[in-house]
Amino acid sequence: MDDSKRSSSPEGSVDPSLVSDEGKNVKSVLCQRCSSKVLCPGMAVFAEKELFLPSMRKKTSIGQSDGTLDGDTLTAHWLVDDMYTFENVGFTKDVGKVKYLICADCEIGPIGWHCLDDKKSFYVALDRVNHE
Amino acid sequence: MESGFGVQRRAGGGSPAVGASQRRRKMPPRAADYKLQVIIIGSRGVGKTSLMERFTDDTFCEACKSTVGVDFKIKTVELRGKKIRLQIWDTAGQERFNSITSAYYRGAKGIVLVYDITKQETFEDLPKWMKMIDKYASEDAELLLVGNKLDCESDRAISRQQAERFASRISGMRFCEASAKDNFNVDEIFLKLVDDILSKMPLEVPSRELSNSVLSLQPEPEFPPELPPPRMRCC
Repeated sequence: MDDSKRSSSPEGSVDPSLVSDEGKNVKSVLCQRCSSKVLCPGMAVFAEKELFLPSMRKKTSIGQSDGTLDGDTLTAHWLVDDMYTFENVGFTKDVGKVKYLICADCEIGPIGWHCLDDKKSFYVALDRVNHE
Repeated sequence: MESGFGVQRRAGGGSPAVGASQRRRKMPPRAADYKLQVIIIGSRGVGKTSLMERFTDDTFCEACKSTVGVDFKIKTVELRGKKIRLQIWDTAGQERFNSITSAYYRGAKGIVLVYDITKQETFEDLPKWMKMIDKYASEDAELLLVGNKLDCESDRAISRQQAERFASRISGMRFCEASAKDNFNVDEIFLKLVDDILSKMPLEVPSRELSNSVLSLQPEPEFPPELPPPRMRCC
């Protein structure tokens, strides 16, 4: 890929109270903007995977490679293996082999990532959501 | 990669079986009781997409939405004590009648057909949409006719009675008016639809009640033999 990726705000450290003994989400996962419920407690496992997610708050041409993509390389995610595990979530159209996850209600995103090569992995970045 | 988070790392797919008998019986997270596919169809500009989106006051640029486009959504409603997951395909941007692939119709358990109460032509288009539904949709798909843009009452071109008459001629079709802008009746649309679907289902349906097609994230493009293939169009 020729896109140069600029990481903006570095990911904060994960609050351990968010993760249960079994590695699952203790709290509900909500949209940062409209509080739409993405996941109920206990429905996802914590996973570490380096993923680049384009910026949520800027008009960025995700689908077009104009040379630069604003975004973050994020490592802390909630992982589910079945899209029907989500309470509410939206999927973008394909960007290459990737679909981004967005809020189902206000459509802000990306809040997560899914690669079509791995039908059983859906990632939601902790940094892109709220927990309650 | 070393863990710099101070969180004890657990294997993602680890089996919780060990020690399960020693743990107090905890309520497992409640998964969905049903999974249903729903599509939203209707002519361009009737406001299909706004039915799916809650308006917010701020003016963030939605990078994803505007440049990549939304494919489908998973939404959850609770009805009759059941938790129902909907997979909702909004067909915005493909409003040519023959360009919405038959695959969209095939798996749909619920079909929301939208027109704009201020635009006569969107109501006159309805029979063409019904043709597509008759042709490609499952016979037991629930139909809901929605007259959108109720907030523009002063520009109304289609009366309630007209639309009710249209709906009454189609077996099983329900009707309601809505305003996505005022958020009036929007949630009710999906609740109505799901209510109809549920009332037709046998009492105990295994939660495997789900066509295999939903496992693929995009329906296989399929061109009906007698129609020309859809022309790809940039929106």
